[in-house]
Amino acid sequence: MRSVPSLVFLTVAALASVFPLYFMVVSATNTSQDVLGSRLLPGGQLVENLNKLLAAQDLGAAMWNSTLNAVGTTALSLLVCSIAGYGFEVFHSRNKDRLMGVLLLAMMIPFAATMIPLFRMFADFGLTSTTIAVILPAISVPFIILLFRQAARSFPHEIVEAARIDGLRELGIFLRIFIPTMRSTYAAAAVVIFMTAWNNFLWPKVILINEAFQTMPMLISNLTSGYVTDYGVLMLAVLLTSLPTMVLFLVLQRAFAQGITGAIK
Amino acid sequence: MRKKMTLASVAGVATITLALAACGGGSGSNDGGGGGGDDGDDQTLTVWAWDPAFNVYAMNEAATIYAQDNPDVTVEVIETPWEDIQTKLTTLAQTGELEELPDIFLMQNNAFQKNLINYPELFTAITDSGIDFAEFPESVVAFSTTEGDNYGVPFDNGAAVTALRTDILAEAGYTIEDFTDITWDEFIANGEDILAQTGKPLLSGTAGESDLITMILQSTGGSLFDADGNPTITDNDALLQAIDVYTRLVESGVLVEVNSWDEYIGTFVNSNVAGTINGVWILGSIQTAADQSGLWNITNLPSLDGVGEATNYSANGGSSWVVSSNANTELAADFLGATFAGSTEFYDTILPSSGAIANWIPASESDVYAEPHPFFADQPVFQLAVEFGAQVPSVNTGAYYYEGRDAVSAAITNILNGADPESALAEAQATVEFAMQ
Repeated sequence: MRSVPSLVFLTVAALASVFPLYFMVVSATNTSQDVLGSRLLPGGQLVENLNKLLAAQDLGAAMWNSTLNAVGTTALSLLVCSIAGYGFEVFHSRNKDRLMGVLLLAMMIPFAATMIPLFRMFADFGLTSTTIAVILPAISVPFIILLFRQAARSFPHEIVEAARIDGLRELGIFLRIFIPTMRSTYAAAAVVIFMTAWNNFLWPKVILINEAFQTMPMLISNLTSGYVTDYGVLMLAVLLTSLPTMVLFLVLQRAFAQGITGAIK
Repeated sequence: MRKKMTLASVAGVATITLALAACGGGSGSNDGGGGGGDDGDDQTLTVWAWDPAFNVYAMNEAATIYAQDNPDVTVEVIETPWEDIQTKLTTLAQTGELEELPDIFLMQNNAFQKNLINYPELFTAITDSGIDFAEFPESVVAFSTTEGDNYGVPFDNGAAVTALRTDILAEAGYTIEDFTDITWDEFIANGEDILAQTGKPLLSGTAGESDLITMILQSTGGSLFDADGNPTITDNDALLQAIDVYTRLVESGVLVEVNSWDEYIGTFVNSNVAGTINGVWILGSIQTAADQSGLWNITNLPSLDGVGEATNYSANGGSSWVVSSNANTELAADFLGATFAGSTEFYDTILPSSGAIANWIPASESDVYAEPHPFFADQPVFQLAVEFGAQVPSVNTGAYYYEGRDAVSAAITNILNGADPESALAEAQATVEFAMQ
C-alpha cells in the first residue's frame, strides 16, 4: 500500500514528460487553427501538412545534410575523443591532469565567444558552406573525453600489460582490446554526440551560407520566419526532426544507461 | 547481441532518412552561394529574404517580370529568416568577409538605421540610380535614408490597422463606424461596454512588448529619439500619454496580455478576442481562421487626443530591399527600379496571392487594389491600407530603435506592476544612453 502515493506521483510525472511529445505528434495531424486552439485529438491533416511542407522547403536535402553532419561528427568525434580518453588514463605523464584541467576549462567558454574568430578562420581557409566546417569544430568535445577517461578507469590495466608482453602494439591494444570492451561507453557517447550534432543550430546557420546545405533545425527556423506561421506544418517538421534522434536513443537505450554509469561487460 | 542492436539502430536511422530524402525530391545541389556578383558580366542576382509566401514569392515574381525584357538575368532567392540575416550581416561585417554578401537583401525597416550606422560597409547608396523615391511615402523612405542618401527600396507596407470582428461588435450593438476616426478614450469606453456585454476583450498583446505603445506614439508624430538620434524617453508627453492609454487598456480588461507571439495569434484565431491592432501584414494571420471569413473589418487607429499631431495613422514593421556592397550595383538597382519601384503589373500579380501590399504609391491606383475582399466582408482592404500608409506621420527611429523599444518595454512591465511612470522611464532613458556609449 505504501507504494500507491509513489505510483501516483510517478504516473503523473511520466504523463507530464510524455505530454509534449504527444502534443507534437497530434499537432502534426491538425490544421494551424486547431494547433492554436490546443486540440488534443488527432486530425486528418497529416498528408496535407506534409504536402505543404514539401512544397515550402527542400525536406530531402535538409534531412540528408543533417544526417551527413551528424553521422560524420559522431564517427570522427568518437574516434578522437576515445583515443584521448584512453591516452589520458592508460599512459602516465606528470602533466596530464593539468592538460585535462585546461580541457575542462574550455568547456566553460560559451560558443558565442569563439564564433567570430572561428568563422574568420574557416573563411580564410575558403571553407564556408562546407560540411567539413560544420564537423571540424565539433569533433573534440571535453565532456566526451572526460566520459571515456572515467570509463577507462575501470578498464583493467593488467590486460594492457599482458597484451604488451604478448607483443601487441599500442594501436592494436586500442583497436582490438579497448574498443570492444568499451562498447557501452561508445554507445552512450554516440547518442550524446549525435543528438548534439543533429540539433546544432547556431554554428551551421552562420557557416552554411549556401541554402543547399540547410539542415533540419534551420528548416524549422525557416518555417517560423514569415508573417504567417502554419503551426500544423511546423509541428510536422519538428516531429520529423526529432524522429532520428528518438529512434537512435530507443535502440541504444540499454547500452546508453550502462555507458553513462560506467559499467563494463 | 549488442552488434545486432547497433546494426538495427543504424538501419533504423538510415531507413527514416532515406525514406524522407526520397519524398523530399532530391538533394539540393544548386550553387546558391552567398557570393554576390561583383563581376560586371555576371547576370545572376542572389537575394536573401525570409518569407516563402510573401517576400520570397514577391522576389521570384519580380524576377519573372524582369526576365521579360532581360532574359539573360537570373535571380536566385535564398530563404533566410530575418534573425539569421541579421546574424550573418553582423558576422560578415565584423570579419570583413564582404564577398559572402548577396547582391540584394531584405531588411526590417525598424533595424535599418542601426545597421546603416554601425555597418555602412554592407550597403551601397542608390540615390542616383534612377529610382524615384518620391513615389514612396516619406515616412517609409526615412527608414533607409541617412544624410540625404537612399540605401533601400521600400517593399511591404507596415501601415497600422484596427481589425475587428463585426459579429462580436454587432452582438453589443456596435459597427465598424463606431471605431473609425475615434480617440483612445472612446475606444476604451466602447471596449469596456463590449467586454461587459459579450465577455470578449477587444485586443490582445504580448506582455513585455511595446509595439502598441510605439504605434500610438508614432500616430502623434512622436518618437523615442530626437532628430539627432538622442533618446527622448524622459520628458516625452506623448510617450507618457501612450503608456497611460496602454495601462488603462490592460487594467480595464479591454486588452488581454499573453506570454508569446504564438498565443497572441491564437487569441484572435480562436475567437477569444474581438480584434487586434497591428501592421497590415497581420491580416495574413487573421485569414488562417477560415471559419471567420466575412466576419472581419478593418479601420484606422484611435488617435491620442490633445497630443502632437493626433492622427489616426501609424505603422509597425515593413521592410526594404538593400543593394549590398558586394553587388553588381547597376544590375541590382535597375532590377529593383523596374519592378519594386516601377511596375504596377508586378504589384497587381503579387497582391491577390500573397497579400503583399505595396508602399509604392502608383500601385494603389490599380483596379486590383480596389477589389472587395470577401474575408473582410467585401471591404477593399488593400486600398484602405495604402491610404492609411500615406498618412502616417514621419518620425525619427534612430540607430538604437530596438534598444529604445526594449527599454520602454521593460519600463511598461514595471509600470503595470505599480512603479511610478516617470522614474521607470528615467531608468529606460539611462539604459538606452548606456547602450549608446
